[in-house]
Amino acid sequence: MSRFLAVLSGFDNPLIVKDGISRMRSWRAPLAITLYLGLLGAFGYAIFTIAVLSTQFTRTASSAQIGGSVFVSLAFFQLALISLFAPALAAGAISGERERQTFDVLLVSRVSAFGIVWGKLVASLAYLVLLILTALPLFAAVFLFGGIDFEQFVLAHVLTIMTALSIGAVSLFWSALFRRSLPATVTSYATTFFLVVGTFVAGLLLTYIYAFRDGVAAASNFEFHPLAYGNPLFAMYVVLASPSGAPVHLGRLLQLLFMSGGDPSRWGPELEPWKLCVAFEMILTALAIFGSVLLVRGRRAMPLRRVRPAMPEPAA
Amino acid sequence: MISVERLRKRYGRQLALDDVSFAVPKGEIFGFVGPNGAGKTTTIRILATLAPTDSGLATIGGIPVGDDPSAVRELVGYMPDFFGVYDRLTAVEYLEFYAACHGVARSRRRRVALELLELVDLGDRRDAQVDTLSRGMKQRLCLARALVHDPRVLLLDEPASGLDPRARVEMRELVRELRRMGKTILVSSHILPELEELCTWVGFIDRGRMVAVGPMEQVRDRVVVGRRLRIELVQPEESVMRNAEQVLSERQGVLAVDLLGDHLEITVGEGFEEAELLAHLVREGVPVRSFAPVAGDLSEAFMRLTGPGEERPPR
Repeated sequence: MSRFLAVLSGFDNPLIVKDGISRMRSWRAPLAITLYLGLLGAFGYAIFTIAVLSTQFTRTASSAQIGGSVFVSLAFFQLALISLFAPALAAGAISGERERQTFDVLLVSRVSAFGIVWGKLVASLAYLVLLILTALPLFAAVFLFGGIDFEQFVLAHVLTIMTALSIGAVSLFWSALFRRSLPATVTSYATTFFLVVGTFVAGLLLTYIYAFRDGVAAASNFEFHPLAYGNPLFAMYVVLASPSGAPVHLGRLLQLLFMSGGDPSRWGPELEPWKLCVAFEMILTALAIFGSVLLVRGRRAMPLRRVRPAMPEPAA
Repeated sequence: MISVERLRKRYGRQLALDDVSFAVPKGEIFGFVGPNGAGKTTTIRILATLAPTDSGLATIGGIPVGDDPSAVRELVGYMPDFFGVYDRLTAVEYLEFYAACHGVARSRRRRVALELLELVDLGDRRDAQVDTLSRGMKQRLCLARALVHDPRVLLLDEPASGLDPRARVEMRELVRELRRMGKTILVSSHILPELEELCTWVGFIDRGRMVAVGPMEQVRDRVVVGRRLRIELVQPEESVMRNAEQVLSERQGVLAVDLLGDHLEITVGEGFEEAELLAHLVREGVPVRSFAPVAGDLSEAFMRLTGPGEERPPR
């Protein structure tokens, strides 16, 4: 119970409440939700229509296949939309305080540097989670057709939320580093592009290069480069194709990462791609939060010596 | 309550503070005066724990600022020379937010916010969105923000800048009220006549060095050679004015007499008894309507003690 309360106290942060009120009173908040659901709904409907029309040409098409293709398309489209929204929400979180000239006043309050970073991250992420929650009925409708199981449904959303968290944390780091929101936003989008598209392309390219090098390109059992395992698109693909597909030993991943030869290592736990992706995103998030805290802390005067108990002087 | 000893601070090659020292006793209002770039804001930011020092010691309530910034933040209410406000928050929500940031218990936040809004005369605007308030109201709200944790020391950086005369008077009265509540206040400003009326202590800083510091009267007596008095007569006719000029010129201690249209201004030396002069004028039949020191002595001292301001690089 006390652990639960401790977790809850992490959300008792004035910045979360303030940013939540401020954001939800803006006309942009309902507009963004409408736009998000509109795009997702239109895309889902378009895929559904295409899938139904394609049944005229394939006699084997079933309701489950239609449901599966709609769900897969929606999951990827949602991941793309969230990747676009996350930098926009987080990249101005701290630099915006500086631009608004409210940052110094926050720094002279009792809120710690971690409290500022955590509050800003949760406030940004809360809105993304709201977007994901509002889209749940769209995804749930796919269950009417079948073709997708509950585990895939959950894992697809875990991957989406973790991707939002990691992109949000990295964007927050840039927001803490840059004084202005514009460079923070541009850098955040560049980083997001690298994380979502860059690692995917680079991972596949390296996979094929190694496969050709080792002469296994024609074989069906070639192994993916570790860079691909950190990519949410790849992890999502594997989850939707098979929830526990292609597990790999940690030792083998390290072998592939450092291009060491020899027999495939069986050291360490065997991990599915989605777990590796989530682990990579958690590490990235932790590093980004740590860096942001250091940057925010650097804006304050630090204690010069060990803090000693000091009592206020008596009245003069 | 506030003590600054041999404070030095450098931004690159620019020496922002050079052995700055002063002290502010408990319950006093300290006017921190200097031209742009003199080092006022740097000093205040150091006291507010927002900037480190290169050397020297700054203490608030006996606590060295560099040793225990967290404890100092408990004692200090800081109002920067700019005021940032959040959009789409009401005045009461704005103060509740900062009360939460300063660790005020949830059950007390609303009451503290409402009391402070009353104190700064914004009680009737409690539900107005902050960005719709006038500049003067925003300044008062920002002062209320600095008070949410009931600090013993207030650091006010140019609190009246950009305000119209009415808002300045309101801000001045508010600062006086805070002194009556026992706060020790350091206030920087360029509006010298107001500081003269408001402050009990004053410090002049120029190019990072303190050039004069102490109780207001002492500093004024030390740096102003002679005092100027303005005398208005009931009938400012030429013969009456000439007679008054002659009476004044013959009086010992009067250094100079100037006829300035419908009134006279005189310069008197150190320790001159103004009441005796007024009684003398009345005895001599000079029809005095008003007799008062000329405002702007502090300005004169300021101009004498400080050179032209040098803009510092942005920080």
